[in-house]
Amino acid sequence: MKPSGPIDTFQPIADRPAPVQTVGPVAWMRENLFSGIGNSLVTLGIIAFLVYYIPPILDWAFFSANWSGTTEDACVKDGACWVFINAWSYQFFYGTYPLEEVWRINLMLVLLLIVIAMSFTLPKHYRMKASIAAWLALPLVGMAILYGGWGGLEVVSTDLWGGFTLNVFMAAASIIVAFPFSFLWALGRRSQMPFIRSVSVIFIEFFRGVPVLSLFFMGSVMLPLFFAEGTNVDKLIRVWLVLIFFMSGYMAEVFRGGFAAVPSGQYEAADSVGLSYWQKILLIILPQVIKISMPNILATFVMLFKNTTFLLIIGIPEVVQTLQTALANSYWLGGHALEGYLFVFLVFWASCFGMSVLSRRIERTLNTDKRD
Amino acid sequence: MTAVKSSAEAQDIIVIENLNKWYGNFHVLKDINLRVKKGERIVICGPSGSGKSTTIRCINRLEEFQEGSLRVDGVEMIDDVKNIETIRKDVGMVFQHFNLFPHLTILENLTLGPIWVQKKPKSEAEEIAMKYLERVKIPDQALKYPGQLSGGQQQRVAIARSLCMNPNIMLFDEPTSALDPEMIKEVLDVMVELAEEGMTMLCVTHEMGFAKKVADRVIFMDGGQIVEENNPEEFFNNPQNERTQLFLSQILGH
Ligand SMILES: Nc1ncnc2c1ncn2[C@@H]1O[C@H](COP(=O)(O)OP(=O)(O)OP(=O)(O)O)[C@@H](O)[C@H]1O
Ligand SMILES: [Mg+2]
Repeated sequence: MKPSGPIDTFQPIADRPAPVQTVGPVAWMRENLFSGIGNSLVTLGIIAFLVYYIPPILDWAFFSANWSGTTEDACVKDGACWVFINAWSYQFFYGTYPLEEVWRINLMLVLLLIVIAMSFTLPKHYRMKASIAAWLALPLVGMAILYGGWGGLEVVSTDLWGGFTLNVFMAAASIIVAFPFSFLWALGRRSQMPFIRSVSVIFIEFFRGVPVLSLFFMGSVMLPLFFAEGTNVDKLIRVWLVLIFFMSGYMAEVFRGGFAAVPSGQYEAADSVGLSYWQKILLIILPQVIKISMPNILATFVMLFKNTTFLLIIGIPEVVQTLQTALANSYWLGGHALEGYLFVFLVFWASCFGMSVLSRRIERTLNTDKRD
Repeated sequence: MTAVKSSAEAQDIIVIENLNKWYGNFHVLKDINLRVKKGERIVICGPSGSGKSTTIRCINRLEEFQEGSLRVDGVEMIDDVKNIETIRKDVGMVFQHFNLFPHLTILENLTLGPIWVQKKPKSEAEEIAMKYLERVKIPDQALKYPGQLSGGQQQRVAIARSLCMNPNIMLFDEPTSALDPEMIKEVLDVMVELAEEGMTMLCVTHEMGFAKKVADRVIFMDGGQIVEENNPEEFFNNPQNERTQLFLSQILGH
């Protein structure tokens, strides 16, 4: 039955711009900094604090700082002695790796960057496979290049490795190797089989519950007891193993969260399509778990990366250990601890900041799956 | 005697005998007996929690059961990976919430089974996928991701994904209950077409129009039991059990 008589026609209302007072810097300041008396007082207090403290800091770090020269004697002004950093920069980055072989470390860093870039830019239909292969190959290739002993490359024994690049290498090499293991531990923890489940739980909880420092001591002191007598496993390899175990314990929990976040309908759909258990896990569940866990994986990596400075406790010459050596050097006794630690602080901060930018970028690429 | 029996069995593509299932101590399915002939279209309805989903999920082993027997196309459903795989290849399933794989394109969602389970070459799998996408009338969406499609389109993709495996039986668990009214029709149209082509279908739904139009048999469940089953005409016009009458008056009442 159709209605008779006149019918209202639809009258669209034209769009209007948003009310003006919420836009613009003045409005922003009024709203966020001076919205009330209390708020204004806090703002003014902070400004006064900054005005009082910033200039001396700037003066120390830049205007009265010593920039040029090569020795302690060049530091005549009151400010920071950046000459110290400059003079030791090679050791801070590369440890005691021989100068004529240092291209190998640089090559390694370039490879790392290439693999990162690959993971974003390769054509989509083989990106996943190619980048997983490249990442898994990276620690072995890196080890081979840095250690040498093949194809005319001189052997550079691991006690010469050091500096910041060692921190980078140890962190990257352990998280990459830990990745597949942690995935298996997480699967094991979800397993229906009590034996597999308990072994996984014990492993994960052990490595999460024990301080990493004590793990390093165990790696350097106790682990050799487990190896057959006469075999002398390199100290660096031993702590590498420790880092791998430590990381896979942590990341297993990250992955477990990812597994729990994949809706059960995904498992059921995969089952009803007829996929086998491993096809289901690898083709359907794992990609979604990685995507969900990406922010936590990177957070865990940042934690591990910073924890590599603890390696100094067992005498591995990573960057902080190198800094302490430099501070104790008899030619540089002018007390440059502040500059040195500030430098380490900045290098780590810059890398970690870079990684969190990268991680946001990764999240965005993963999310475009839905839009684009 | 044996010949008669086996020919009758050859016709029954699904045979469920005295099936009982418990969740812990909760007796969720009680003495379910159901025989489905090849090409038969069955609609299952009943109040929430009556065990409709659980029943059809037993048919492709998304749920285990403790007592009774279940045979699909002559294969006994037992605790054996081989049997379960054989049955799953034979049975397609469509879910209330579509359950498409969000990280794969529509085309990849459809080719996954043919490539990995049936081991077909990629080009052939894509040909099959496009054929079924055309049948559900969305070939132009092949390269999009599930998140970019409307609910109705996603559900049609889910139907196509099952069909790509060339199943003999299709299970539907409330395929339209998560959809807006204007999308329900486009999904039901696809299902009606499928029914007309002779697919064996078991469909949990409250779309009574669909039941009247295509069902050979309507089954009413309550409290984990099959309370009543009949052809749609008798079922709707002349329900025997008081539970059925109450249920029908509730859902047809508004
Ligand atoms: N995994 C489970 N564990 C325990 N109880 C469950 C589980 N799944 C379902 N149940 C219970 O089993 C009963 C039957 O569930 P089922 O999903 O089969 O109902 P349904 O008829 O499909 O209902 P609806 O119309 O709401 O989908 C319900 O009472 C439900 O609470
Ligand atoms: Mg249900």
